[in-house]
Amino acid sequence: MIPINNFLVLSSILFSLGIYGVLARRNAVLILMSVELMLQAVSINFIAFAVYLSPQAFTGLIFAVFVITIAAAEVGLALAIILRLYRNKSTANVDEADMMKW
Amino acid sequence: MGAQEAYLIPALPAAAFVVLLLFGKYLPRGGDFIAIAAIAGAFVLFFPVLADFLDKANGTDFVSAEKSWKWVQFDNFEIRLGFFVDQITIVMLAVVSFVALLVQVYSVAYMRGDPKYGWYFTCMSLFAASMLTLVLADNLLLLYAAWEGVGFCSFLLIGFWWERRSAAEAAKKAFITTRIGDVGFLIGILLLWREAGTFDITEIFDFAERGGFRDADIGGLGLSGNAYLTIAVLFLFAGAVGKSGQFPLHVWLPDAMEGPTPVSALIHAATMVVAGVYMVARMFPLFVLADDIALDVVAALGLITVLMSATMGLVETDIKRVIAYSTLNSLGLMFVALGSGSVTAAMLYLFVHGFFKALLFLASGSVIHATEKQDIRELGGLAAKMPVTAAVFGIGTLAMIGVIPLSGFWAKDEVLHAVDQHRSVVLYMLALISVFVTALYMTRLFVRTFLFEARDRVAWGHSHDAEPLMTLPLVLLAVLTAVGGFVVFGFVGEALGFPGGFGKFVFFEDPEPFDFAWDVAIFSTALAVGGIVTGWYFWSEKAEPARRAGEALQPAYETLRNRYYIDDAYQWVIDRVVLTLGTIVAWFDRNIVNDTAVDGSAGLGLFAGFELKFLETGKLPNYALAIVAGVIGLAVLLLVLRL
Amino acid sequence: MTYEEVIFYVIAVPTVVGAIGVVTARNVVHSALFLILSLLSVAGIFILLSAEFLAIVQVLIYGGAVTILVLFAMMLTRVRDLPAALDGPQRPFAALAAGAFMAVSIFSMVSTDWPGETDKINVISIEQIGNDLFTTWAVPFEVASLVLMVALLGAIVLARGEEGE
Repeated sequence: MIPINNFLVLSSILFSLGIYGVLARRNAVLILMSVELMLQAVSINFIAFAVYLSPQAFTGLIFAVFVITIAAAEVGLALAIILRLYRNKSTANVDEADMMKW
Repeated sequence: MGAQEAYLIPALPAAAFVVLLLFGKYLPRGGDFIAIAAIAGAFVLFFPVLADFLDKANGTDFVSAEKSWKWVQFDNFEIRLGFFVDQITIVMLAVVSFVALLVQVYSVAYMRGDPKYGWYFTCMSLFAASMLTLVLADNLLLLYAAWEGVGFCSFLLIGFWWERRSAAEAAKKAFITTRIGDVGFLIGILLLWREAGTFDITEIFDFAERGGFRDADIGGLGLSGNAYLTIAVLFLFAGAVGKSGQFPLHVWLPDAMEGPTPVSALIHAATMVVAGVYMVARMFPLFVLADDIALDVVAALGLITVLMSATMGLVETDIKRVIAYSTLNSLGLMFVALGSGSVTAAMLYLFVHGFFKALLFLASGSVIHATEKQDIRELGGLAAKMPVTAAVFGIGTLAMIGVIPLSGFWAKDEVLHAVDQHRSVVLYMLALISVFVTALYMTRLFVRTFLFEARDRVAWGHSHDAEPLMTLPLVLLAVLTAVGGFVVFGFVGEALGFPGGFGKFVFFEDPEPFDFAWDVAIFSTALAVGGIVTGWYFWSEKAEPARRAGEALQPAYETLRNRYYIDDAYQWVIDRVVLTLGTIVAWFDRNIVNDTAVDGSAGLGLFAGFELKFLETGKLPNYALAIVAGVIGLAVLLLVLRL
Repeated sequence: MTYEEVIFYVIAVPTVVGAIGVVTARNVVHSALFLILSLLSVAGIFILLSAEFLAIVQVLIYGGAVTILVLFAMMLTRVRDLPAALDGPQRPFAALAAGAFMAVSIFSMVSTDWPGETDKINVISIEQIGNDLFTTWAVPFEVASLVLMVALLGAIVLARGEEGE
């Protein structure tokens, strides 16, 4: 007998921590890890809604599957980009990659 | 093919214009044959339209033919693009298509070798299309569009030799002066539309006859329905004043002679300048319904123009300008006729004037072509070298003076008769005086150009009659000038298929058939002959009497030479008032609009952009923070909206 | 508090602790280890939500593949050797923004009146998921695999570098 709000609040906390990580960290790998936390929060939300509120269609559950799939793809690509950045600029800090500014 | 298909008449020159504009450069001879074929086609198409129209007339009652398409629609208000054939249209179509054809044929020889030969025919085609649309239009909006179209062509063709500064100036002057009238015309159209709710001419007539013009309140000014209508038609008349060169907007027409002579013949004699007369004749039922003052103004301005132009013609030395003054003179007479309530007289005069004035211009064109002089002080004695030109010019001169039995006589007497019948004796006397003055200056023009001793022997020596291509139109026009007046007789009209003669044909609703008045004819003929004799005496041989008269009446002579100082007055107004105002506006534009508003706002943008660019740090975390802030803001907004 | 809730808290607390560790640790490797803790706890949450299939996928993909990838990235970019601080200068603002977001998010989650029963977990069997995934969601599923493949190819191309480098 766990109320749905428990899961929703947990996901909110996780997501907010992810936001903090993304904003506060400078290292691209750490930012990526924070993004993963945010994705976890989203997955929890999806599954909670699916099993509590729409057990017939459980679209949220299916969506969580896709979230994990896309997250895997994203991690692969993002790490490749980070490697690329490191090779060109000898840094993995996002605030040092500012060639596009005015 | 019948009157319903009359829209094909302007369509042909319009198509020729498009073809010449796009492909004229690649066509042999600048594509003149296309322009001429188109206008010839239009002239040929006129006959089935005429025949069909007369067929439908079944005796006495003319049925006008109409055809229209939807042009623009807003909600429940629509403007139709329509053509309309009635008696006035038929007369105009005849004059316009025939004279345009002859003038274009003449132009082939006259303009030969000109570097802008093809462009000339392009403009001529556009002019023909606009003019034919103007006479066929069934609503005021289309009429106005065509009206501006002919004005624009006039501008192009007066300024055809724009390399010459005077030509460019004259084109500008003509355009701006007529524009002043056109604004009035547009205001008139909109005033009519405001009450009647339609641009369709017939519907406006119905509306007016039903007494549809009610008391109106415009800007706190209470107007009775009739006063409203009067003001509206006076504004319409302003358009006619500009287009037809009536006082006080007559100043552009003499200067318009800077254009090629065939252009003067077509546009500034036979067709465009009579558009004003046509328009007033077309809208005549409204002038009749309005207060008497409307027609009084028409007659008064017409008469002023007649007298001013005739007297100015006495001292002008440029052959084309003298004819231009005679055109003003004729146009004034047409308005006098309209102002006296006789559409018949006006249309008759318009009809024959188209022929004899085009003849005079084309003949003067031959003279200019042959001698390369157009100052009559340098001409003279050309009759010996150019007999054909002299003969046709003489016929034109006599027709203009109004000598029996040439066409001008019948038309002018019809006008005088109308004045005699409907106007005071003072106006009648003034009109008769104008006949005398007209005879005087036309005689002077002919005598000084063609008779007696040549003053420039070199020019005289190499002058000769023009080639057949130019002479043929002259002869055709001369024949029509000689016999064209006979349409006034009932039996001639009927023989040609017009039931009841010309008068009945033109103005069937209130039949006013030709009415020959012996007293008028005798007076006018006496004055005309008197004018010719006096003119002959004054300007024969060395023109001694004229010189002495000029010296004796020095102030009058100077006034006339300076065209009553009207041009100077206008110039003064332009210099002092318009330019002063212009300077103020220019200062305002330069300093307030340009420097402050335009440059200022641009500078503000530049400054803001320069300052704001430092917000763009190029650092990813900053952007991410902004995104999150935005998301939070949106979420809060949604929450607030939901609660 | 029911025993189910007790279990929930037992799993939720390590999740949050792991997450806090990820974003605050001063050592990148510790950060990665905290991430593993958090991810595995989330798998536990999934089981609690009776989504066993997703829990298994979570352990396999996140706990295994993704973490390994992240560690490899750290090694290759030599994050530990870099002298610079791990946190950027806008950390206070980040905390503020995250706090604000958390407040707004929790408030809206709690204050919303969700339709349907909100305290009963419905068990959805793996069989049902499989059925749906390959019937209703067959096309998105295939597209997802395509995306995965393209992303991996792209990653290879990006990471391999240009000729002669």
